[in-house]
Amino acid sequence: MKRNISLILSLLVMATMLLAACGGGSPTEAEAPAAEGTESTSSGSTDAPAAEKKVATFIWVQEFTTLNPLYSTGWFTSITRQFWNCWAWQYDENNEAYPYLVTEIPSFENGGISEDGLAITLHLRDDIKWSDGEPITSEDFRFTWAMTIDPSNVVSSTYPYDNVIDIETPDPQTVVMKFESPFAPWQSLWQGLIPAHILQPVYDADGTLDSAEWNNNPTVGCGPYNFAEWESGSYARFVRNDNFYNEPAKIDEIFIRFVPDDASQTAAIVAGDALLGAFIPYSEVPKLKEAGINIMTQPSGFNEGLFFQVSEEHSHPAMLDVNVRKAIVMAIDFASFNEDVNLGLVKTPGSFWDSLPFYNDPAVEPYPYDPDGAKALLDAAGWVDSNGDGTRDKDGVEFVIQHGTTTRDVRQEFQAVAQQQLAEVGIKLEILNFDSDIFWGTFADNGPTYTGELDLQEWSDSPYGFPDPDLYYWLCSEIPNADYPSGSNSFFLCDEELDALIQLQSTQMDPAERQKTISQINQIFHDKVYWAGIWQDPDVWAVSPRLTGVKFSGVTPFFNITEWDITE
Amino acid sequence: MFRYILKRLLQGIPLLFIISLVLFLLMMNVGDPIATMGGRTITRPEDRERLKRQLGLDKPIAVQYLYWLVGNDWTKVDVDGDGIADKPGTRKGILRGDFGKSLVTKKPVTELVGERIPNTLLLMVAAEVVTIFFALLLGIYSALRQYSTMDNIMTALLFIAYSMPIFFVSLASMYVFAILFKRWGLPYLPTVGMFDPEVGKTPAQVLSHMVLPVFTLSVPYFAAYSRYIRGTMLEVMSQDYVRTARAKGLPRRQVVYIHALKNAAMPIVTVIGLDLPFLLGGAVVTERIFAWPGMGRLFFDHVSRSDLPVVMGILMLVAAAVVIFQIITDIVYAWLDPRIRYN
Amino acid sequence: MTTHTPSIPQLAEDLATPPLTLSQLGWLRFRRHKMALVGVVIIIFLFLFAFGGALIYSEQYANYTDTSLRLLPPSAEHPFGTDTIGRDILARTIYGGQISLFIGIVAVIIETLLGILVGALAGYYGGWVDSLLMRITEALLNIPTIFLLLVMAKFFGGQVPEIDIGGRVFSGSVIVIVVIIGATSWMYLARIVRAEFLSLKENEFVLAARATGTSNAQIIFLHILPNTFAPIIVSSTLSVANAILSEAYISFLGLGVQAPTATWGNMLDSSANYLDSAPWLWFFPGMLILLTVLSINFLGDGLRDALDPRSRTV
Repeated sequence: MKRNISLILSLLVMATMLLAACGGGSPTEAEAPAAEGTESTSSGSTDAPAAEKKVATFIWVQEFTTLNPLYSTGWFTSITRQFWNCWAWQYDENNEAYPYLVTEIPSFENGGISEDGLAITLHLRDDIKWSDGEPITSEDFRFTWAMTIDPSNVVSSTYPYDNVIDIETPDPQTVVMKFESPFAPWQSLWQGLIPAHILQPVYDADGTLDSAEWNNNPTVGCGPYNFAEWESGSYARFVRNDNFYNEPAKIDEIFIRFVPDDASQTAAIVAGDALLGAFIPYSEVPKLKEAGINIMTQPSGFNEGLFFQVSEEHSHPAMLDVNVRKAIVMAIDFASFNEDVNLGLVKTPGSFWDSLPFYNDPAVEPYPYDPDGAKALLDAAGWVDSNGDGTRDKDGVEFVIQHGTTTRDVRQEFQAVAQQQLAEVGIKLEILNFDSDIFWGTFADNGPTYTGELDLQEWSDSPYGFPDPDLYYWLCSEIPNADYPSGSNSFFLCDEELDALIQLQSTQMDPAERQKTISQINQIFHDKVYWAGIWQDPDVWAVSPRLTGVKFSGVTPFFNITEWDITE
Repeated sequence: MFRYILKRLLQGIPLLFIISLVLFLLMMNVGDPIATMGGRTITRPEDRERLKRQLGLDKPIAVQYLYWLVGNDWTKVDVDGDGIADKPGTRKGILRGDFGKSLVTKKPVTELVGERIPNTLLLMVAAEVVTIFFALLLGIYSALRQYSTMDNIMTALLFIAYSMPIFFVSLASMYVFAILFKRWGLPYLPTVGMFDPEVGKTPAQVLSHMVLPVFTLSVPYFAAYSRYIRGTMLEVMSQDYVRTARAKGLPRRQVVYIHALKNAAMPIVTVIGLDLPFLLGGAVVTERIFAWPGMGRLFFDHVSRSDLPVVMGILMLVAAAVVIFQIITDIVYAWLDPRIRYN
Repeated sequence: MTTHTPSIPQLAEDLATPPLTLSQLGWLRFRRHKMALVGVVIIIFLFLFAFGGALIYSEQYANYTDTSLRLLPPSAEHPFGTDTIGRDILARTIYGGQISLFIGIVAVIIETLLGILVGALAGYYGGWVDSLLMRITEALLNIPTIFLLLVMAKFFGGQVPEIDIGGRVFSGSVIVIVVIIGATSWMYLARIVRAEFLSLKENEFVLAARATGTSNAQIIFLHILPNTFAPIIVSSTLSVANAILSEAYISFLGLGVQAPTATWGNMLDSSANYLDSAPWLWFFPGMLILLTVLSINFLGDGLRDALDPRSRTV
């Protein structure tokens, strides 16, 4: 009797040990838990249903917060918009605009833009319709504008609609936008539309669109796909829109799965559980390539850059000297960092407009890596190591500066490299990193950037409203203070020449003139070293070879989604 | 008994109040929810000021707490930014069952949390059941063979399991059972998610997606529980009544299962009872790695965006569940042990 | 707490002379716990590794980056290989080990002090002091620790600047992590101490001390507290393991100790993406965490068996 019990017990214990051993990764003992997996291999295969219905699964590492274009400008929300919503004009793989809902893109030449630049007229196609069959009219455009700037709606941003003072709709196919002053970045308007015939009644009843069911369940859309369902934390499903006014899509259904972890995303793509992944970190690229997955990059305006704080009040005194700033840039080997850590997939951008060749003209070249040159510049500027502690000093002030950024692995890696390379020329870099909602806390919230704590700031940014070249946070009027606690000039930098040019470019409706102004700004950034590129930050996509016809745009990523197809 | 329950419930109220106050103060200072609302670009100053006003974040902390607690429908708020509070508020406050709306998604917190509770419970309860079952077996076995070679080996293995960081077990098991097994042509497990959306939420799908997360969750808990059970059993077995029973010459099996286990059951039940409400909170790390749509992931996603209503909603829900389960555990305890009477 | 170990040799000498004191009895029991002895040996080895290793490699070398040498597998020159920006992993595990052990021990000192203070006050004074302190303890126990850690990590994150100790620079986040781990883990200990105080404060020796006019503080800290050391030592020892694991979890979620300061936890974090392509990234810090936590758990288990007066299995 006794023996029996202990036998049974020890058997069970052995089974448990087996389970425990699996954690150690011993493959030979792992049959037991894996046996259940047989079900999934037969039922989980995508091959069987593909014969009749073409279904593609994509992975997003972040779930979209809402689908209403007014309520989120998050990247994953906006890229998903190409499936089910529509833009007035889209952008191709060269990031060039082409008409989508309009018959032509307004310009001075075709009369779409008035002489004084204060009125822009859109002519809508007459065959465009919502997925429920209702025509898309000028009223939908007017409604989208009115709802965006309505104070009862907690929209994520009122830009650029707050520049439009009125919209006239003389007929269903004509939209006339009125401006108080010329507004050069007008192309960033109409990145998504909301259906007036669905949402006007909601607004009339609730006084706001904040709680409209359509926001998270947009059953009526205007893209090649219709929204079907969204299960929070798991997936969203889109099915082909048979009412579509352009060429219908080839793939029948698209699933988007939300997988928050990079390594898990790679595992899923390599395992064939998904055909497309977005926002791939460079560290994942070799594994994906090894598994035969294509990596496609597309410039989307973003560049990782060093932003220099130049302020008598807040910065380290050395930062005020342009030659010292230049020395800092020359002391860091950006090119090797990109070659080694970013696997040669990106280069060092010389210009804030690196991905807009039209505006980066003449192209600005980054400063070369030249530690000896940097040392010479520092010596000449009077920063020498007079007390022999390894760090340069001047007038009793040690050359110790703060570099802050957000907690992304590659940023921390760059910080460590920069810290060491600057130490080699005698500059001590203190490195700090923050969660992004802390990093960007306002002056009022004691955020580290807007209170002037950081001499060097690092993040990835694009011209405001890319592919428009606009920018704003270098303006003198944006310097935060107690009276203007939301100010966005975290460099506390006020350069009057730069200020005038930034204001000028945003009113220049003629692209050629604007190009000249932007080039001047570009040159100032370079010469006065207000900004230094670290690496180009294009969109990185992982694409299964089973997907064909794939092209991406940096503005409207899925502009040709209807041509995508699945092969075996 | 009824009076006791009532008393305990009333005691729970100030407790929850303290918790809410402390957490609210912490959450008010963890970051700016508006800072990241602009997506990849920084939120514009104009939008920051407007959103702050519209979301009521410009009010003093005390007022925000009051609104969160009892709502603001009794007062007027300034919606359009002209400095005049002219529109009646719409919030009812948590005391009237309104947990507020997520700052990020604008969805009601009750809806966001409601979607995740079943998923989390499915995963966590499965892990708990697996854990307890194996822990009982092993714990009893180890106790009976204290310091035997087998006990030592088992203890060593359990300690290893207990000492491994969960993310390590998660990633390694995913790598072996999902990636390597597929590469080797063996039956393999799915990597992430709760089911393959292309197939649908079938029981077979959910089950196969559960295997790896349940396994990873169970490993450390299994070790902890079986150690606890071993300890409890050892303690009970050194009690006089067990010695007496042994001395009387009762069969060993009877001594172990009738005398010892029955008496060891109580502390074990207590520990399990007190752990249960925490299952509601899910597992932050495991859910994140396996992309399981549970509460832990919801919490992490929203805490990293300083989304106060959601974070507070989740924490208060778990805290309330803990209070209730403590009372239930006490009652079960009294029922199991006739010596205890609550009056 | 490893401070227990130095007394072992002395005790061993005394072993021959009966009758056995409580600590001798404890040592006898402890000695039987083979794994606890192994644990002690490993802990000593780990301390030698983390602090002795610093004599061989400088901290500057541990932070030395060379991106052209990234992800090199273990070799004679880099016995543990190199990381994503070409730093030597052996040197980093040495300096990371110092921080990890520091976090584990200091967090537990904070935890123990808080736990003893709250538990002793509540247990000794009873009444409203007890009610208030225990409500606060319960309030904190009602929230899952990892949630509390995350909220606190964000609350304090980035608020402490870099600190300079004896020419070495540490990220301020080390202090943050130590404090939040200590501040979120004292509740169980407080309950244990309170229970001990409740049962001890009615004992004759306490009543006698009180009758002779000894101050409350003296009674609490000189008379009662020493009698509660056994459970406190056991609980604190095990907490060191938990603190080291907690640091690894917070690091994994991106809220842990920030660069340039290495810890075993944040070394593991950045290695999650190289699970199969560069296993040496996770293997060495992972094994060190495992070994540390494991040997501390062994030690704690041995101490429990040895010091628990209820287990009479000698």
